Amino acid sequence: MPIIETRELTKRYGTRPEKSVLAVDRVSFAVEEGQVFGFLGPNGSGKTTTIGMLVGIINPTGGSFRLFGASDAKGLLAARSRVGATLETPNFYPYMRGRDNLRVAAAIKGVGRSRIEECLELVGLADRARHRFSTYSLGMKQRLALAATMLSDPELIILDEPANGLDPQGMREIREIIRILAGRGKTIFLSSHLLWEVERTCTHVAIVRRGRIVAQGTVDEVVSEGTSALLRAEDEDALAAALEDCPEVTSVRRTDDGIIVGLRGGDLAGVNGYLVGKGIHLSYLAPHRQSLEEVFIDLTRGDFESMTEIAS
Amino acid sequence: MKILNVLVRIETLKTVKRRAFWVAVGVFAAINTSVAVDNVRTARRFPDFSHALPESWPRVLSGLTSPAGFFIAVLIILLVAPEFSWRTGRQNVIDGLSKERLYAGKVMLLAGLVALFVATVLLIGIGGILFSPSEGGPEIIRSTDFSYLAGLTLNLLFFGSAGLMLATLIRSAGPAMGVLFLYFLVEGAIVGLIERAGETATRITEYFPVNISDDLGDDLALYPEVLASVNADRAERGLAPLEFLDVEVLVAAVLAYSTIFLLISFLSMRRRDL
Ligand SMILES: Nc1ncnc2c1ncn2[C@@H]1O[C@H](COP(=O)(O)OP(=O)(O)OP(=O)(O)O)[C@@H](O)[C@H]1O
Ligand SMILES: [Mg+2]
Repeated sequence: MPIIETRELTKRYGTRPEKSVLAVDRVSFAVEEGQVFGFLGPNGSGKTTTIGMLVGIINPTGGSFRLFGASDAKGLLAARSRVGATLETPNFYPYMRGRDNLRVAAAIKGVGRSRIEECLELVGLADRARHRFSTYSLGMKQRLALAATMLSDPELIILDEPANGLDPQGMREIREIIRILAGRGKTIFLSSHLLWEVERTCTHVAIVRRGRIVAQGTVDEVVSEGTSALLRAEDEDALAAALEDCPEVTSVRRTDDGIIVGLRGGDLAGVNGYLVGKGIHLSYLAPHRQSLEEVFIDLTRGDFESMTEIAS
Repeated sequence: MKILNVLVRIETLKTVKRRAFWVAVGVFAAINTSVAVDNVRTARRFPDFSHALPESWPRVLSGLTSPAGFFIAVLIILLVAPEFSWRTGRQNVIDGLSKERLYAGKVMLLAGLVALFVATVLLIGIGGILFSPSEGGPEIIRSTDFSYLAGLTLNLLFFGSAGLMLATLIRSAGPAMGVLFLYFLVEGAIVGLIERAGETATRITEYFPVNISDDLGDDLALYPEVLASVNADRAERGLAPLEFLDVEVLVAAVLAYSTIFLLISFLSMRRRDL
């Protein structure tokens, strides 16, 4: 039984058609026990909305999902006691001390006092726990949120951009904590727009774009789905221009190293033959294993292009 | 049962740590204390002014009339609306409370505040009377006093549920309080306009929320003998007698309004995303 299973899960914000936003569009995926599942997508692609539906604060407008096999209201409420989650930003009472904030969460989760201290210790906040939440730095707020999600020692941990706003040291610590939790057999669902973060910490990944899943599987599967090649030539401008029209090529990206092309069917010889026909002689041609980042950028290209358009 | 315990615990924790709560309760207690001190002083200076139970119940209970309701409404808004703007209500639900339970906690908070306000007024009012030189009657409390106390308590619930409705609909403390103030002004203005239109129109304004709850909080509506003496006085001066709807009608109407407010806020809570 999958820990999380969504079927055609959909959320449309707003009812008036001209103003409504289709934030999540028929999303289906399954997270099995013990996976560290990365939910990867650019800003506004529907990650938070999807998680919001799973944790019960956003009402889906279509499709369904199961948590620990439960899908009815009562079953979901019980299932959620096995989940620890934070959404978007750390949400706490600013006027209360860190520790008192955890007391509220602990009361809801039915957890005792000693566990609060353990969790504070784990995230390194024990000596600041008597200060008010409003006086915390962003990193401390994130840690408090992490402590709150771990209070009940949940089987499933859902983190929405846990590294947001952290310095490199803080990010490394988060990664370390996630590794420890995964080592203890916890299932972790993690959203991020930081590729290397997902690549380093996750076993599985789903890439979302504008509310749709465009690729999913193990990190290796998703990476190898995009076969690509690295090409170099004397006149790279001419090479790039020729590649744009090549039927074998799905994407063209110029790097300092040369030109990386996405290939349909992985036919290197075909590309070479095509280029020779155009009078371009390659000085280098080799298969290229894309990083997750490159796959991601290929898959979500449209969004970045529109972003640069807005910027310029 | 366990869930009630949890709700009481978290709402208490959230409330007692909040400075605005202590300020509001402090101000309310201070106002009541100053009124109580004033009453005792007058009783000491003028032997004609009797300040003793049961005659002084209306005076004691007047601490629960209109400004108290307003206090409750504002306090509820201050305590509930930030749960949305801070997104802490959202986190409560993520932590395992359902939206319905979160809402139930707020209704319990409302009941708790009302109980606290009533207790404050009784404690300070009766405490004051202990220092008054006046002689009291044989019984300490009459059934009309009970009715008046019940009516005023209902009134506080009415204002509290109005506050809860505004807080859950508007989800932001400042604007919610703005709408509350504005409503008072608007209802007052509309009542003023309609009353000029004539007798039958005025009958309708009697049922307007703030108007009808004012009546339920009016000792004239609940103490027939007081109303009789006031009307006798008015007759001497050639004024028309004051009339009130039956207490049963007042209670039913105020209860109906409160129920509608609570229902609206419950449905809004349930249907909207947090
Ligand atoms: N309450 C809301 N009302 C209307 N539209 C919303 C609401 N919340 C989100 N949206 C829209 O839904 C889309 C998805 O938003 P969402 O917050 O889920 O994205 P995200 O993937 O979490 O983005 P980010 O990486 O920036 O956090 C966006 O277009 C956003 O504008
Ligand atoms: Mg987000």
